[in-house]
Amino acid sequence: MSEEKRIVKSYEEEMQSLNDDLVKMGSLTESQLSDTIQAIVKIDKEAAENIIKNDVQINELRAKIDDQISTVLVKRAPMAIDLRTTISSLKISHDLERIGDLAKSVAKKIEPLPIDLPQELTGSLKRLGELVQKQLNNVLDAYISKSKDKAIEVWRNDEQVDDLTHIAMNEVANFLGKNKKNLELATHLLFVTKNIERAGDHVTNIAESLYYLIEGEYLEGARPKGKEFVKDK
Amino acid sequence: MTNNKVKIKTEKLDVFYGQKQALKNVNLEIFNREVTALIGPSGCGKSTYIRCINRMNDVIETCKISGSIKIDGQEINNKQIDVVRLRERIGMVFQKPNPFPKSIYDNVAYGPQIHGLADHKDKLDQIVQTSLKKSALWEEVKDRLDEPGTSLSGGQQQRLCIARAISVNPEVILMDEPCSALDPIATAKIEELMEELKKTFTIVIVTHSMAQAVRVSQRTGFFHLGNLIEVDTTDKMFKNPNNKMTQDYITGRFG
Repeated sequence: MSEEKRIVKSYEEEMQSLNDDLVKMGSLTESQLSDTIQAIVKIDKEAAENIIKNDVQINELRAKIDDQISTVLVKRAPMAIDLRTTISSLKISHDLERIGDLAKSVAKKIEPLPIDLPQELTGSLKRLGELVQKQLNNVLDAYISKSKDKAIEVWRNDEQVDDLTHIAMNEVANFLGKNKKNLELATHLLFVTKNIERAGDHVTNIAESLYYLIEGEYLEGARPKGKEFVKDK
Repeated sequence: MTNNKVKIKTEKLDVFYGQKQALKNVNLEIFNREVTALIGPSGCGKSTYIRCINRMNDVIETCKISGSIKIDGQEINNKQIDVVRLRERIGMVFQKPNPFPKSIYDNVAYGPQIHGLADHKDKLDQIVQTSLKKSALWEEVKDRLDEPGTSLSGGQQQRLCIARAISVNPEVILMDEPCSALDPIATAKIEELMEELKKTFTIVIVTHSMAQAVRVSQRTGFFHLGNLIEVDTTDKMFKNPNNKMTQDYITGRFG
């Protein structure tokens, strides 16, 4: 990374402001996701309502970042590291927005859930949720410190997210297997699980964008894959 | 890259103007039928470099040049070379359009005449027409060929200078900031023309506009204080250069 400041002060400020807004958006998304995971584990319907309400803040920041990026592109025609920062910021902000949307979707599913969900179900969701939350936290740290190694680590850990998704899906399948009346509830829980997993995929996208920002190259090889969902016999 | 044949090979090129060293051990390959852009802050040596290719520095008494410049394998940096013949092979277009104080026709016909490329009027007419067509100026001037070249707009004058350069069938065209005195439309026309010209000629352009280097060139070299810091494909240079100095320069961190 270049340490020298740009000659044009306003350009320096524009890039700094873009960076600050992206970090702010990251931290908002992080807290929305962690609130969601807590709310689903505790079946906290009041918290869920707040999460749904707060999503708009993330969307507003994304729109602001989009606008800032358009301005930088048209005014500065950024090159090299600045070009990669601009492109990556655009992609990262969109991934963060999607994580926010997925957190909101999960929060919406809390309302119809009974407060006495079996421990195995909340337990496996909690483990999955906390891992994705940790992944998001790590990728944002990697962004702030511009650490290639941390980005690769997050990217690799997506495999664990897939494995925990697999376990959580099996718990839901078992729950449904015990009583067909659980169908509606099980469907909700499958969506919740899938949405948390997809939030994890967006975290992996962010790791890829960050790697490109730092190295100017794309992370090579296929994305790590966990086991596909097959109901345990 | 469409073509990987080296047209101009420069090795260990040192240039001094009196005591001042303007180029330091420059090693650079210019590829055939490509546009190579040379960038760098003022005084970095990029213009000095292209002036070595057609021996324009010969007219400067204090200028001393050592090292090798080969065009198609032939050394041009020695006393034996016929400089007039060399400049027929290596055309040049300057920052400010500089048509001769002659008619549009004569501006283009002058080179072929002195180099004896046309033995009769029809042939000369044909060269003038082809050159003006190749420089995308024909349609605008075909009905007023006997008007002075200086009556044209700046952008048209620059295209007239390009027609003049290509009228003698050169192999290489050197351009020293050819658009810096032109408005964006005239610039766009020259850039569009370069796309066409590179199918026939090897082009080396010195430019202060990095956006222009990105638009027109396939390779870019970055000079700083007489050193060639980095040369690579233009795509690589502007997206992910290897050298930190290149990056700092193109991102506006020094200059």
